[in-house]
Amino acid sequence: MVLSLCASLSLLLVAAQAAQGEARSLASIRGVVEVRLDLPPKAPRPSVNEIGAPARHDVPDRRRSVVYFETAPQGAFEDHERPRAALDQKNESFVPYVLPVISGTTVDFPNRDRTFHNVFSLSKAQPFDLGRYAAGRFKSVRFDHAGVVRVFCDIHSHMNAFILVFAHRFFAATDASGTFRIDNVPPGTYNLAVWTDGRVRAVRAVRVGDEGGIVTQDFVVE
Amino acid sequence: MHSAGRTVRRLGWGLAACMFGLAARAEEPAIPPDDGMKLLVGGDVSGTLAPEDRGFFNDVDYQRNALRLFRASLLAELRGGSHVALLGELRSENLDAPRAYALYLRVRPLPRRAFDVQIGRIPPVFGAFARRRYGQDNPLIGTPLGYQYLTTVRPDAVPGNADEMLAQRGGGWLTRYSVGSAANDAGLPVVESMRWDTGIEVRVGKTPIEWSVAVTQGSLGNPRLSDDNDGKQISTRLAWHFVPGLKVGGSFARGQYLDDAVRRLLNPPAPFRQQAFGLDVEYSWARFVVRGEAIVSDWQIPAIDGPLAVAAVFLEGRYRAAPGLQVAARVDRLDFGRITGSGGSQTWDAPLMRIEAALGYALRRQVQLKAAYQHNWRDGGFVHSQGLVAGQILVWF
Repeated sequence: MVLSLCASLSLLLVAAQAAQGEARSLASIRGVVEVRLDLPPKAPRPSVNEIGAPARHDVPDRRRSVVYFETAPQGAFEDHERPRAALDQKNESFVPYVLPVISGTTVDFPNRDRTFHNVFSLSKAQPFDLGRYAAGRFKSVRFDHAGVVRVFCDIHSHMNAFILVFAHRFFAATDASGTFRIDNVPPGTYNLAVWTDGRVRAVRAVRVGDEGGIVTQDFVVE
Repeated sequence: MHSAGRTVRRLGWGLAACMFGLAARAEEPAIPPDDGMKLLVGGDVSGTLAPEDRGFFNDVDYQRNALRLFRASLLAELRGGSHVALLGELRSENLDAPRAYALYLRVRPLPRRAFDVQIGRIPPVFGAFARRRYGQDNPLIGTPLGYQYLTTVRPDAVPGNADEMLAQRGGGWLTRYSVGSAANDAGLPVVESMRWDTGIEVRVGKTPIEWSVAVTQGSLGNPRLSDDNDGKQISTRLAWHFVPGLKVGGSFARGQYLDDAVRRLLNPPAPFRQQAFGLDVEYSWARFVVRGEAIVSDWQIPAIDGPLAVAAVFLEGRYRAAPGLQVAARVDRLDFGRITGSGGSQTWDAPLMRIEAALGYALRRQVQLKAAYQHNWRDGGFVHSQGLVAGQILVWF
């Protein structure tokens, strides 16, 4: 399923409504992703070789999802914005668990812990290894290629996160209540996909009319 | 006697007060405790291949060589809330029947304080390497000499005199003495890292100061499931994390190692102990990790004047050259004290030096390939020098 997401990210289809969209109103798509899957915290490895219990750590919220367009309007790939984003390391956990970004984004990895971390990824989309660095410092990586990047810490094997790199800007992460919102959507019909915990869980066709406004599309992931 | 007893009691109360003080300071981050029952399972499978080790430089006991070994380990931790956990490791080597190499109960009386008690077959307190012997924690394939190389000291047999001891120099993989067991058998390493001892240990603190103390059945070189000499070992380690990335530890251990069956043959049947001091340092920054350990130990032995002294030192470094790719190297030395036989003074076992360099590549996060070259030099035995090329595949989950 990760491969299918990579494929869908890299083989984005261009919608046919062409340039006439410029003359029409832009819309927002919003909704709620209700995750009914049982997603318990990923268990760390047994700490058999340690004297004493390992330090407690935060548990990532695996229910956070990303909603995105499988098909994007023409011109969506021509954005030249080069934003920044951050993936924190705090209480031996990556925050957020899933970070969607547009290609060209520079992601900072600040260490807000008391211990060293060594952030790395072996993903084909963007392999990197930041080495060890202490609290209060950060290192950065620019993500230029669309795809799924799994991020780990070499020191703490229970730490992991996802960075989803999109070739366009039509995506949003859900908040703690499952709500998402994608703004400035030109009229057209799009396939809206939901990604939760490593997989595309649902795809729905959504139509945005010429009148703009707000289009609501909810999802149930089970 | 009363005065000595009072001193010991005061020392005991002093230690207890220090531990209590450390525990009181060692507060964990304010994260909600996990109160449910939980079973964690993990494992390692590794296959290591090398040409024949003619000098038995990497033997870990009579039948196994660390560079020619298939190992499968199953790790489990059953957590009963924040206070109690049962931990164990079941291991099979070269497809033998699985055995429990670790099985202990961990109790944390105060969930938000770094104060733990472990009872059973427990991880060693002494030094640092023995707790990172697992494949993914060892950037090389071989094991440091002080934690693996078999000396000519045996727990079940002793030489009748110094000449008999000197005749075995460089042959620790298979020794024979005239007192005690008449069988040919392997000697003891300075610290046995492949098997764990049985007893109770306490750890207080985590950062910046961590202190652990253990009382166990065996000795550093001969951990045991059951006691064979009515003598306990006490071992302790104090670690100080000066700054993130720099950790320094000092260790001490003292325990009886000689089997009762041999002691009963001696006159007088006195206890014979192994004693060791250790210093370990780890420094890491960016893509580098540098580790070093020094161990000074000695065994008391009958029929020979003075204890058998040994010093083990190693320094290793690892550099992560690219995502998934790492290079590592270790320099290792094992030196022995001198004893006097009829032919003059000599080291009681043959000193060794080892260098090893390795390249590691992670095919996936949990699948790693390693290739290493190891060269050993020994000032004795029937093979004085040997180079070995080794390969290893390691899978963990």
